[in-house]
Amino acid sequence: MSAAWRDDDPLRRERFPTLGPAGQRMLDFMLRHPCAPIYRNQSGNRLLAHEVEAQHAHEREVADAAVGWLTDAVPDWVPPLVEDVFAWVPHYRTLGSPPHALEDVAPVSRADLAADIAQFVPDTVPLDRMINFRTTGTTGHPLILPSHPVVAARYAAYHKRALRRVGVEPRHGRGQVGVVLLGYQRHCFTYVSVSPTVDESGLAKLNLHPNDWKHPDDRARYLDALAPEIVAGDPISFAHYLELPLPRAPRALISVSMTLLPGLREKLERRFGCPVLDIYSLNEVGPVGVFDAALGGYLLLQSKLYVELLDRDGRPVPAGERGEITVTGGFNFCLPLLRYRTGDIAALQFSDQGPVLIGLSGRRPVRYLACGAWINNIDVTHALLPFPISHFNVHQDVDASVVLRLAPDAMAYADAARAALAPLFGKQGVTVEVLQADGKTLQYTSDLEGARS
Amino acid sequence: MNLSGPSLEALIRRLADTPPDFMDEPRVAGAGRVAVTALVNDLAAMHGERAVLDTLGVFEGGSARGDRNRLAVAMIGTWLLADPWFLAQRLDAAALVQTLAEVAAEMAATTPAHRFTSDAERREELARSMLARFGYRPAGETVAQATDRLAAISASERRRLLEASRAAEQRAREIREALARKVAEESADKWTRE
Repeated sequence: MSAAWRDDDPLRRERFPTLGPAGQRMLDFMLRHPCAPIYRNQSGNRLLAHEVEAQHAHEREVADAAVGWLTDAVPDWVPPLVEDVFAWVPHYRTLGSPPHALEDVAPVSRADLAADIAQFVPDTVPLDRMINFRTTGTTGHPLILPSHPVVAARYAAYHKRALRRVGVEPRHGRGQVGVVLLGYQRHCFTYVSVSPTVDESGLAKLNLHPNDWKHPDDRARYLDALAPEIVAGDPISFAHYLELPLPRAPRALISVSMTLLPGLREKLERRFGCPVLDIYSLNEVGPVGVFDAALGGYLLLQSKLYVELLDRDGRPVPAGERGEITVTGGFNFCLPLLRYRTGDIAALQFSDQGPVLIGLSGRRPVRYLACGAWINNIDVTHALLPFPISHFNVHQDVDASVVLRLAPDAMAYADAARAALAPLFGKQGVTVEVLQADGKTLQYTSDLEGARS
Repeated sequence: MNLSGPSLEALIRRLADTPPDFMDEPRVAGAGRVAVTALVNDLAAMHGERAVLDTLGVFEGGSARGDRNRLAVAMIGTWLLADPWFLAQRLDAAALVQTLAEVAAEMAATTPAHRFTSDAERREELARSMLARFGYRPAGETVAQATDRLAAISASERRRLLEASRAAEQRAREIREALARKVAEESADKWTRE
């Protein structure tokens, strides 16, 4: 049993306001299993009884909602949102009267939120149950984002919408573990919880790094005992998950946080025989889109999230062109956003199923100087597509030399990956090194002037 | 305020009837549609003089946070100063530009621009302030009456601003404290973590 868990902890009622005997049994099962990891933290669903009911209604609404808008027309829920935000959010109040059109709202970026997040929280939001989500700060602006237990719980509705598209209707319930979130980091926030919206089924956030286990073999034994219906993680944790001798497979995997290369996705699909969802998700707005190979990109999931693509000067790019993904709305009522520049780049196309983000590349693209001309990091992604690599970095130095850094377990692909990049970089070639990093890595970096297009 | 000016009601009515073009988006940092410098220059021309180019720089916007509301107030002020009574005074271009800039900056610090057209008390405040800056008082009022009324109407708005700004500081502090609590750090269940 984890030392972090104390039955007499006064915060326990806050973590599990509706905890019943079945939930208690589930928590005990996950914590006291002989192969359980060292759970280092505590958290919970924090949902009050009436919020559990509201969550059911929200899930139905999300399931049935049409996502999309007419080309060149702002959805009709946006103008009232602009009015509200200009009335109640301090940052916008200082800008004066609400503009007549969304396009007249000055976009904000991560740096604005990082400067003083309090300026973006509406006056109407009660603070007594506010929680936060920290972002990793890979772009140099670490952020603490305000949120609420209800907001956190709402994620499930969008994941279920995405799962339904691949024919998976979650059916876990009492006495079962619904979701396991996997990390693989030296230091990772880990805990167990139960979901009152699904009859107190179990939820565990655990770290596959051997540091968190009494014995590395316990990882497979424990995961097998939990038998989660859904496993969520990122390409790094999934690369380790893949190697565990697990006799049973979950019904679906959900990958977030980083680019999931098709090679790794296929390997996961083959290994577990279940759908692997690649979700484009942001701490600031939650799950934005789910990758659909047939649509060629990420199909948007939220009906109240309007997406524009802006150029560097904040102007919408022409239809079909690439621009910075800029979002308005979202389901986090602690942080209603107007034209928030995400730093991610894509093009937007409209399909019969809704708007699709095409050619998504995380954060601002990096250009590489190759054979005397600039190439986009997308070209590098394409060259690396065939390899089941979870974790990599391509870096160009000031002398234009290029190095591909691969996680130790991907070094088997070093020669093949170098060969795949050779046509891009020509004679100058690419050297391959071992990537020494814990956690998320910026995949594309450069010290060359002009590399940030 | 030694000079007797126009009917206050006429100016207030003019503000209530501000055309949409004067409530459009001022050009700030490459965004927006209305070049306020050009608008003010046209106003000076209507008063019979061209403005000195250098003095118009104050009507260019560098940032939405710093300039948008101020320039939006300046646009409404321009409309007010194009009233036939003001035009008949043929105001000196330098004084016109400077006064408009000062009034806009002062008013924008307390009030979202469009309230100077939609809110009766704010319309009165802008009309009285503008008249006073040029040394006029509303027709039919004594100097003492005009001074008292302007002071009262401005003071109430300044008091409101002060209270709002204290409340905003307190609120921001409470948000930062709420986010730093142990409970907030523990966060809550999500199906995925980005």
